Amino acid sequence: MKKTILLITVALSARLAMAQAPAAPPAAPVPITDADLKSVAAPSNDDRLKGDPGGAITGTVADIAVADSKKGLTVADALNQVGQNKIAINFVWTLVTGFLVMFMQAGFAVVETGLCRAKNANHTMMMNFMVYGVGMLAYWLIGFAIQMGGVGGNGNLGGIQPLNTEWTINLFGKPFGLFGQHGLFLTQGGTYDVGAMVMFLFQMVFMDTALTIVTGSCAERWKYVAFVVASFFMGAFTYPLYANWAWGNGWLANLGANFGLGKGYCDFAGSGVVHAVGGLTALAGAMILGPRLGKYTRDGKPNAIIGHDIVIVLTGCFILAFGWFGFNPGSTLGASGNGNLRIGSIAVNTMLAGMTGGFGAMFYMWMRYGKPDASMSGNGLLAGLVAITAPSGFVNTVGACIIGLIAGVLVCLSVEFIDRVMKVDDPVGAISVHGTNGLWGVISVGLFADGKSNYGGSWNGVNGSVTGLFYGDASQFVAQLIGVATLIGFVFTFSFVIFWLIEIVVGHRVSARAELEGLDLPEMGQLGYPEFELKARPVGAGA
Amino acid sequence: MAFAGVLITLLGFIVAVLSVAMTSSIAGRMVVVLIGIAICLIGIIGVLNRAFLKNANWRR
Repeated sequence: MKKTILLITVALSARLAMAQAPAAPPAAPVPITDADLKSVAAPSNDDRLKGDPGGAITGTVADIAVADSKKGLTVADALNQVGQNKIAINFVWTLVTGFLVMFMQAGFAVVETGLCRAKNANHTMMMNFMVYGVGMLAYWLIGFAIQMGGVGGNGNLGGIQPLNTEWTINLFGKPFGLFGQHGLFLTQGGTYDVGAMVMFLFQMVFMDTALTIVTGSCAERWKYVAFVVASFFMGAFTYPLYANWAWGNGWLANLGANFGLGKGYCDFAGSGVVHAVGGLTALAGAMILGPRLGKYTRDGKPNAIIGHDIVIVLTGCFILAFGWFGFNPGSTLGASGNGNLRIGSIAVNTMLAGMTGGFGAMFYMWMRYGKPDASMSGNGLLAGLVAITAPSGFVNTVGACIIGLIAGVLVCLSVEFIDRVMKVDDPVGAISVHGTNGLWGVISVGLFADGKSNYGGSWNGVNGSVTGLFYGDASQFVAQLIGVATLIGFVFTFSFVIFWLIEIVVGHRVSARAELEGLDLPEMGQLGYPEFELKARPVGAGA
Repeated sequence: MAFAGVLITLLGFIVAVLSVAMTSSIAGRMVVVLIGIAICLIGIIGVLNRAFLKNANWRR
């Protein structure tokens, strides 16, 4: 019995001692050598000749580029291939999403044309068509350099080191970046660079989106030549300046690093940079042009002037919603590395906010006027998409739904305010969709950003995630408000002055006769629908 | 009148930017920026737009 107890005691002690003994250190990682790589077998030629229906032997070690054929495959070759694969994924992602954004021009074109009268169809389509080329020319000449010439590189796109010269002034003891200086003609300052080309394409289509917003608010009465001049200046100066401040290492982006305001001004995909800039410029243009003839009675009551094709309006809204999947998720400028796998979350936020925006507007109109207005439902969808553009990378799905829902109601209220109180004639609701909801999108970042995003551990050079007021960071909200003040106070004023100068030099408004006749023949020389007899419907009828 | 509207709108922007230098308190900065935004809106809606409405084509 004693022996048994002794044995059990010894066994337990030994077990206890074993449990307390420090665990053996894990084996040190064995570095991979060039010799290891040589032992990786590539599929044989015979196997390849049989074809590869299962995809198992396509894309193997045999496909890695070798720097020195005498040495064969080395570790350096493998690592270079890994790096190039990451950048290639990001290039392809950014380019393809940029192509989607480019197609949004078609969406804008048919939405605006459908909301205008048939007698101006050619003129409205042509403005939307040529704004693409006019804006691109201005942006290639100088706009891109102003916007991105001092951004200081981008890790997702392989560095782009040549974009490194920002013009700054010292204010309150801190550097205030005002505009970039590299990238004129995409050659100056070493910008003939593969990464710079990808960046240019993506930023160019964003800029063109902003420009095309203005053609909506000024439609049906804008001289074509004035449109060309105004679009050129906006693509060359107005848009790039604000975009530099927000995205190009300018002073708004550095409000966090310089003044402790959150992560600086945060606008993920451009509610402010693209839509509010476009919407506020649209407001400046519409104010200077004045309302269309017949829009207001002598005592200032607004008449509804309905568009000619609701079918293409809603088709255009779908095209825009599709393009928005390039706009927001593409703004990561990559799909690999630096937290870019959040692209799924961004895409879902985008579709949810568009949906709640459409619902918000539809139910508002239904309750207020008794019918679910089609054009305002479309504008509600767009308003939700505009509003989620800035916060899409920083909020969760509940936040996205709330932001979109508010945007849908807000666009209806804003249309009524601009139409009835300000008496500014905006034929397509561009000021409300893009201006008002662009500003709401900027503000909503400061409210709803949930602090969960992590794009490489920092944003605008400040460590941590973007966090809004509802999640504990009031300073982020202040940074967003400064962005709003800059949009309303500076961008609007700048646009207004440019439009004013064009009014003096060129003149914005077509003659009353041309306006009544329709702009297709007097301005463009060709009817939009030459085989149809157009009958004028009394203004206000059928609304 | 329109020129005054432009100046007031620009003034609102300047007030908002000055907020970062006026105080280091977040609440203080928020108040100053909101004042700046209000000035901007007064400039656009209250002054500039009113100037254009005086000569609007529908009055003629």
